[in-house]
Amino acid sequence: MDSLLSLFIGQYVADLKRSLALFAPELVLATAFVLLVIVDLIFQKSKYITGVVALLGFAVATIFMIVSPANTSFGFWQMYVFDPFSNFFKYIFLISGFAVVLISFFSNELNKSDRTMGEYYTLILGMTLGMFVISSAGNLILIYLALETMSLSSYVLAGYTKEIKRASEASLKYVIYGALASGLMIYGISILYGLTGTLSLFQINAFLTQYQGPVFPLVVASLLVLVGFGYKISAVPFHFWTPDVYEGAPVAITAYLSVASKAAGFAVFMRFLKAGFIDPTNASEQVWTMVSSIDWKFIVAVLSVLSMTIGNFVALWQTNVKRMLAYSSIAHAGYMLMGVTVMTEGGYIAVMIYFFTYLLMNFGAFYVVQLIANEIGSEELEDYNGLGYRSPLLGTAMAIFLVSLTGLPPTAGFVGKLYIFQAVINSNMIWLAVVGVLNSVVSLAYYAKVFRNMWLRGVDSNSAPLKYSIYAQLLVYAFVIPTLYYGIFWTPLVFWAKSSVMMFIGK
Amino acid sequence: MFDLVQLIILFPLLGFIGIGVLGKYLKSEKVIGIIGSSTVGISFIISVILFFHIISTGLAKPYIVDVFTWIATGDFSVKVSYQVDQLSILFSLIVTGVGFLIHVYSIGYMHGDRSFARFFSYLNLFIFMMLNLVLASNYLLTFLGWEGVGLASYLLIGFWYDRKFPGVRITWTGDAGNKAFIVNRIGDFGFLIAMFLIFANFGTLSYTEVQDIAYLGKSIYFDTGLITAITLLLFLGCTGKSAQLPLAVWLPDAMAGPTPVSALIHAATMVTAGIFLIARNSVLFSLAPITMEVVLIVGVITAFWAATIGITQNDIKKVLAYSTVSQLGFMFAALGAGAFVAGVFHVMTHAFFKGLLFLGAGSVIHGMHEEQNIKKMGNLAKYMPTTYKTFLLASLAIAGVPLFSGFFSKDAILWAVYNDGGFIWWLILTIAAFFTAFYMFRLVYLVFHGKERFDHHKLHPHESPKVITVPLAVLAFLSVFGGFLGIPYVFGFWFSHHPNALENFLMPIFAKSNNILGVPLEHELHAIEYLFIAIAIAVALIGIKVAINYYSDDKLLRPRRIAEKFKAAFDLSLNKYYLDEIYFYLIVDPIVNGSRSFLWKKFDVGVVDGIVNGSATVVQKISETLRRIQTGIAQNYALLMIAGIAAILAWVVSSF
Repeated sequence: MDSLLSLFIGQYVADLKRSLALFAPELVLATAFVLLVIVDLIFQKSKYITGVVALLGFAVATIFMIVSPANTSFGFWQMYVFDPFSNFFKYIFLISGFAVVLISFFSNELNKSDRTMGEYYTLILGMTLGMFVISSAGNLILIYLALETMSLSSYVLAGYTKEIKRASEASLKYVIYGALASGLMIYGISILYGLTGTLSLFQINAFLTQYQGPVFPLVVASLLVLVGFGYKISAVPFHFWTPDVYEGAPVAITAYLSVASKAAGFAVFMRFLKAGFIDPTNASEQVWTMVSSIDWKFIVAVLSVLSMTIGNFVALWQTNVKRMLAYSSIAHAGYMLMGVTVMTEGGYIAVMIYFFTYLLMNFGAFYVVQLIANEIGSEELEDYNGLGYRSPLLGTAMAIFLVSLTGLPPTAGFVGKLYIFQAVINSNMIWLAVVGVLNSVVSLAYYAKVFRNMWLRGVDSNSAPLKYSIYAQLLVYAFVIPTLYYGIFWTPLVFWAKSSVMMFIGK
Repeated sequence: MFDLVQLIILFPLLGFIGIGVLGKYLKSEKVIGIIGSSTVGISFIISVILFFHIISTGLAKPYIVDVFTWIATGDFSVKVSYQVDQLSILFSLIVTGVGFLIHVYSIGYMHGDRSFARFFSYLNLFIFMMLNLVLASNYLLTFLGWEGVGLASYLLIGFWYDRKFPGVRITWTGDAGNKAFIVNRIGDFGFLIAMFLIFANFGTLSYTEVQDIAYLGKSIYFDTGLITAITLLLFLGCTGKSAQLPLAVWLPDAMAGPTPVSALIHAATMVTAGIFLIARNSVLFSLAPITMEVVLIVGVITAFWAATIGITQNDIKKVLAYSTVSQLGFMFAALGAGAFVAGVFHVMTHAFFKGLLFLGAGSVIHGMHEEQNIKKMGNLAKYMPTTYKTFLLASLAIAGVPLFSGFFSKDAILWAVYNDGGFIWWLILTIAAFFTAFYMFRLVYLVFHGKERFDHHKLHPHESPKVITVPLAVLAFLSVFGGFLGIPYVFGFWFSHHPNALENFLMPIFAKSNNILGVPLEHELHAIEYLFIAIAIAVALIGIKVAINYYSDDKLLRPRRIAEKFKAAFDLSLNKYYLDEIYFYLIVDPIVNGSRSFLWKKFDVGVVDGIVNGSATVVQKISETLRRIQTGIAQNYALLMIAGIAAILAWVVSSF
């Protein structure tokens, strides 16, 4: 008995050691988080030093990501999973982290004289840590905890400009809505636990393979868990917070929420579906079979169609560019859900490709919106008239991002859509592809509006040209160039996604 | 070693980007000129290195250099990869060698132009694209280069976009650029369809693989509709790019561009892309006898047609442009006759002497302060001795005077056409050769000899600076001696029994097509060949003599008399056989009118707009309703979300 215990402890310690080694990037983020708090206490006057520390934290984490051995295994007693799939999303979070910090440097609304920026960057780090954990979580409780870590940070960040009324309102709505969603989700988790007796995704999967009982409670529980994910990726009908929060939050945070937060939601949702509900014996095949009788394909397809359609159609009427981009991001969640719906390897690859391209173009578009707001103090479409002539760089860049968001070549957005539609058509869901294409057409209408106002309206207004620092301009290029580059040479991107689709499924 | 080919491509690209981006900040013409020329010069040096490496290793199979995978979706994958072999390196030598000289020349020619940097960045872009075209290892990359040189050509034709340029329904240089671009579209369409057919039937776009498959299955593929269609469509592409009938009309108007552009793109390199494409696909073409016949006939007729126009033109560059079209016809005639080496040989010699002629013309135009009308020149030999001497050498070469480069290549073509096509085509081509000699020396006499027909008080012609005359001298050297690389067997056998240097060099490229066509390895000697050569020499010399007789007389009485006597023929030639007018009347106008009156005013406004506006209205109505859901009240959101879950749940459960 004694030897058995010591064997158990020995195994435990060995697993812990191994896991901690793989956990290094997350540890770096946590360390940076603590360090930031201290740095903030010392350098309270400086606005940028905390941001720089955050950047350093991301950089060190990136280095650890790169040098960490390619590994596909459990960590921390099946709570945690290390696999190429989570690594892909962690890189997305890191790139987004760099982007949001850099964008924040150039934000006038954030860098007001009477505001300290220490907590801001600290919270961004905390949020990123939450995303790291959620993309690797293999256990429902850990998923829930990571989701809350992300959410709590984002509530504060959304209302960071607290003197602005709509920001505070947005933050409050976000909290209420988030509390509701997370309450429903934990309710679902508890039912699922009651049914299956486990919280591990892999054991749930094993349970479902044997399960012969009634399906109804299982459906209810799964749908309630889905609420939590749906709320993170702002899929209709869990999207209502999105427009208000996106409009009220500082632009940098809006961009971060719309890309990184959404990516985290997708990562966990895709893992939940694949690890929990796909037959692990054929999970390496091109087309997967499901172990439960829940029609996930149908449910996700409904969410996808609703998100695309409502996102695009409502965006048509928006007069505020930020709000319009919020609805557009709902529509993009719909496009990406198409890739999830097909439940094939190709579909997952397509979603991952899409995310990378979406990261570039969406951050780019929001960044342009912020730079314009810095100068003209408005995000209204009306006030964009003639801006193309006042700042040809921003006008051109915005046009490229919007073309990319529409999904036209030769931009990265085209590649993302191409692979999504390819995956959908390969699974014979032609009707869904048709809906997607029609939606893209609708989206062109409102994207083109921005372009039209910038270049074709108010042409003869003799207003002064907008001036930006060389660094602010360089950051625009940093988004424009890859958007165009990956529109032409996308093969490396596809290879990366293909090699990253491998997900650890417990076998 | 052969991997160096990537650098050949890289340097002009760097030049294009560097000058394009930084040109604004580089104030010095010298710096821009040196950067722009040296990138091409480095590429030339690397080409030379690879050339000698090929000779020393005797490369039997093409060496493929993969750079990266460009597109990979499903079964379709295209690599950016380059193919080093005798043909591609030979073209690379011509492109970078002549290109380098013309870059240097441009430093002098474009001196003082306000868009000096733009000019050099476009020139580098052109070289980059042209190198992609000739070095590509697959059709798609060649097509990229093909379109790219078209773009560069378009940009450079309209380079002086604010200058007028007269032509049939052309007012600005930009119109000429449009014309070149649009006419080329027709040819590109052929190239594209050919590419689709190749991929659909061979499952690959790689040159080596396609040629191997076709060669292995030669008995199956020979003279089939598929191969005929592919090759005819490729040839359609060639007629566009290389300005052959029926798509020849754009090249004379392309003279709207600066003269170095005419020399580089519209004489020495780009327009020979069609010859390259056929030579590259020699296996496919030799499997399609019908296409070969078509190529031969089109080449011969174009050569004759353009030569007869060249004799009446008065713009120095137009004469040379029609001469180019005519000489390209010679090359196609050679290819059509199965004499691939002769065609490529003529590409090379033509690059030397035609490049030189254009550069000489540029020097004249430069010295005459932008005057291009040869009727307003005369006696310039006195003012521009170097230009005169080099121009004269090039004229002797193109006319086919013995021992000059053009003599050898033209002789090889004429003999091949007689051997393969028969007496009639030989005769037409020989008459074209006569006209060639005639119009060239008409040009020489009107420009450089006789009385000065310009106002001496206003115009002071002057010799061009060294930066212009040195490239002229180099090209003159090549025009005189370049022909010795490809001495026809009929002379060459005096020295050795082997094929000549060029044929020997290109042997691995055309071995397969020669096998299909049944070309013997050893030449036979025909006494009749000497007779034909004698005729060719006589024709050239008579052409020169007639021109001298006609145009050394200052009053030009005899030419005028002839023009009046054969007024109809003269007008026909002067107006380029009214081909532009015919195209406008038969094709362009009906399409434009039909589009305007029916497609636009009826179909587009009525049907298309109706559908679009109608659906837009519906979409707007729907979206306005949907928008109302977002009330801004948090309680409503919560309610709607719960309702949403309930609805999905109900839906899922009901579908059990």
